Amino acid sequence: MSNFESKIDAEDSVATLQRPDKALMWTRGLEKSYRKGSLAVPVLNGVDLEIEAGSFTAIIGQSGSGKSTLLHLLATLDAPCAGEVHFNNRRIDNLPAKQREKLRNEQFGLIFQFYHLLPELSTLENVLVPKMVQDGFFSYLKNKSNYLKRATELLEMVGMGHRTTHKPAELSGGEMQRTAIARALISDPSILLADEPTGNLDEENGDEVMETLDRLRQKENLTVVMVTHDNALAQRADAVIRLISGKVA
Amino acid sequence: MYKLLLSWRYLRTRFIALASIVSVTLGVATLIVVNSVMSGFVFEMKTRLHGILSDIEVAAPLLGQISHPEVHMRIIRDVLGDDIQSMTGVVRSPAMVTFTVHGRQMTQQVMLLGIDDESFGQVTDFHPYLQNENKKEAFTFNLEESGYPEYVRDSGWEYRRSKAQQQKRIDLMRRQQQAYYDTVAADYIADNPQLYQQTAYTSPVAASDDDRAIDYRPLPAQAPDFDKIHSSNQGLDASEIPATGSYTGRDGKTYRKFKPYDPHAEFRTQPAAEDFFDPEKDQHTGIILGLAISKRKTLDEAGNKRDFYMVRPGDDVQVIFATVGQNAKPVSENCTLVDFYSSNMHEYDSSFAFVPIKELQKVRGMMDPLTGDSTVSSIQIKMKPGADLDKARDALIAKFPPEQYPYDIHTWQDTQRPLLSAVNMELTILNLLLFMIIAVAGFGILATFFMIVVEKTKDIGVLKALGAPSSGVMSIFLGYGMSLGMVGTGAGIALGLLFVRYINQIAEIVQVVTGQEVFDPEIYYFSEIPTIVSPMMVALVGLGAILIAVLASVLPALRAARLHPVEALRYE
Ligand SMILES: Nc1ncnc2c1ncn2[C@@H]1O[C@H](COP(=O)(O)OP(=O)(O)OP(=O)(O)O)[C@@H](O)[C@H]1O
Ligand SMILES: [Mg+2]
Repeated sequence: MSNFESKIDAEDSVATLQRPDKALMWTRGLEKSYRKGSLAVPVLNGVDLEIEAGSFTAIIGQSGSGKSTLLHLLATLDAPCAGEVHFNNRRIDNLPAKQREKLRNEQFGLIFQFYHLLPELSTLENVLVPKMVQDGFFSYLKNKSNYLKRATELLEMVGMGHRTTHKPAELSGGEMQRTAIARALISDPSILLADEPTGNLDEENGDEVMETLDRLRQKENLTVVMVTHDNALAQRADAVIRLISGKVA
Repeated sequence: MYKLLLSWRYLRTRFIALASIVSVTLGVATLIVVNSVMSGFVFEMKTRLHGILSDIEVAAPLLGQISHPEVHMRIIRDVLGDDIQSMTGVVRSPAMVTFTVHGRQMTQQVMLLGIDDESFGQVTDFHPYLQNENKKEAFTFNLEESGYPEYVRDSGWEYRRSKAQQQKRIDLMRRQQQAYYDTVAADYIADNPQLYQQTAYTSPVAASDDDRAIDYRPLPAQAPDFDKIHSSNQGLDASEIPATGSYTGRDGKTYRKFKPYDPHAEFRTQPAAEDFFDPEKDQHTGIILGLAISKRKTLDEAGNKRDFYMVRPGDDVQVIFATVGQNAKPVSENCTLVDFYSSNMHEYDSSFAFVPIKELQKVRGMMDPLTGDSTVSSIQIKMKPGADLDKARDALIAKFPPEQYPYDIHTWQDTQRPLLSAVNMELTILNLLLFMIIAVAGFGILATFFMIVVEKTKDIGVLKALGAPSSGVMSIFLGYGMSLGMVGTGAGIALGLLFVRYINQIAEIVQVVTGQEVFDPEIYYFSEIPTIVSPMMVALVGLGAILIAVLASVLPALRAARLHPVEALRYE
């Protein structure tokens, strides 16, 4: 954590807009505020952070401190009001929609607090959705066997190998979240962005999910950014980013 | 790929959406049924309207004539060329037909058509509408022995013979009765001579000498032999005419008896028995009447409707019509009804009567007695199938401009233009209204889809978060709409076609259930509900319905595409 802080100079973000060493993803002066009528409610006021490749970073902060907002900005799901997000030596927050979609699809693995599986699809199909989005109709059919193999493998890895045909409604919260992890990993992303993946789970299930994440992280050498407000979980991380009143503390 | 998969899954799991397309199904089915039945009716109606009308008619004004019809036909053939299939001349005259029903005279107004046995049937659909089996095959204006339809089974010669014999019996009885009355009267006079005493006639005028000289004696009992006189007659000089006898005049002198020259002698010869008109063996000129002229509705003992025929084949009718020319005079002809025709077009069946053209030309003065040249009232033309009637008509009008020729040249459609255009308009409006039903169904789909999009907000957010483009999300819902439309339309087409296929059975069932007669063959003259399914119409209706379903899903799909992923994900 200390090596991050030494490099951050929030007051003079423009001056430090060179690539920090080893950082896979970094931001400078991220600002986000929501309009409430004529009143602007600031959520993030200049967030600078760096995420090293292969690291496990935890973002913690109080409820409403803007953790999810920050994660959305990192995932290019939303655009910041000011500041920049860089990924792989490229500024990504102002990319055209098409490229951002490609990025999300191929480079980012997203995990949400409420799993967000598609209820009409089976576990296996849910895992395959990013691939279906990525490929056209025919290339998907062509590669389908590869994808199937990979998806089953991933489901095996998250301990869901025996429930590939179940619909999300037939799964427990922990099982759904592990399926969501498998889905996040199907495109072999360079970075996994998780928003309170255990927030909705009891302790036992939460531990299980965390263990799965840990295991996969080591096995696949993943970079993980995880939002949580559980300090105990944050202890496992290589680096902890604490958000207080819209800034990295 | 996910678009297809999700469209398909939504289709399978959202039954409420299926309910919303039931309206599409019903709309499509209704459109197909109504269109098929209407086309069927219109086709039947057109066939009937066309029926005994020729494709094109070149008509002289009422009571007018077209002289040298064969020359006209040659010119027409020059103008229209190979498009002509056949032509015929027709004499047309308004007329009155009088017949006797149970001793009462009935007169009806008809349009009398003099037609050529051969060619008229080639120009119009005349023969199939005739009721006698034999006449459909080989047409003549002769009364037939048999072949009359069930409803006038006891028609034809058999009927005519029995009717004539009956009449003879009645006449005989009348005579016997009269003879009896005569003897009774004679006896009465004999018994009461004082009542019938003959008084000598005395003229109130003073008799002159000459008058007194007149001999009032009856003619000699023995009539002179005029035939003998005539057969030996050689000249006009009375002295050379051989005397055939002599008699004593009032003055007591002897006079020669002779027969003067009689130029009409041959007409005075006693006709042979077979030359007398005998209704048992002979018929007048044949006439064919529209069935509706004779048919009336009546009730049988049980109170059910039944048809009654005022005249039937074998009866004689009197036809009165006008001669042509400057001083038109009414003439009357006796005709024998030889058959009915029934085109099931009441307008025609109640107004047309057909007689042989030669007879009509003779009686109306349309035939030159010296040369045998005859005139007609109109020339009827049948064109080859597919020929453009309007173009042909215009060509003929150009050849016979109304400024120079008094002819009215028209196609059969011109004759029925108001009716045909009314029917066409009806069909258009009906289609429009029914398409509104599908449009209403479209709004149903719109509402349902909005609900589904709202329900799926989170999923849309997920898909976008996973990198699906807005267009992809949109096409999920467009595809969903299209597949719903296709399912609904397909079901509608199947339902509609089935309905059309079994429409008569369905009509029967409805009749049994409601007790109301859905389809009265008496009114429509069809034994069954006529239907024509045009593949083009089915395809158009199907495409239209699918298009409406897609259009209805455009707005919800656009909304889905515009959803912001973060907002969508936050939605719980
Ligand atoms: N669309 C919005 N309009 C207005 N305010 C918003 C909107 N989205 C988020 N906010 C506000 O932004 C702040 C940060 O929200 P965010 O969801 O990032 O918090 P969080 O740190 O993730 O909290 P939690 O731990 O409860 O998930 C909150 O105060 C929230 O009310
Ligand atoms: Mg949050």
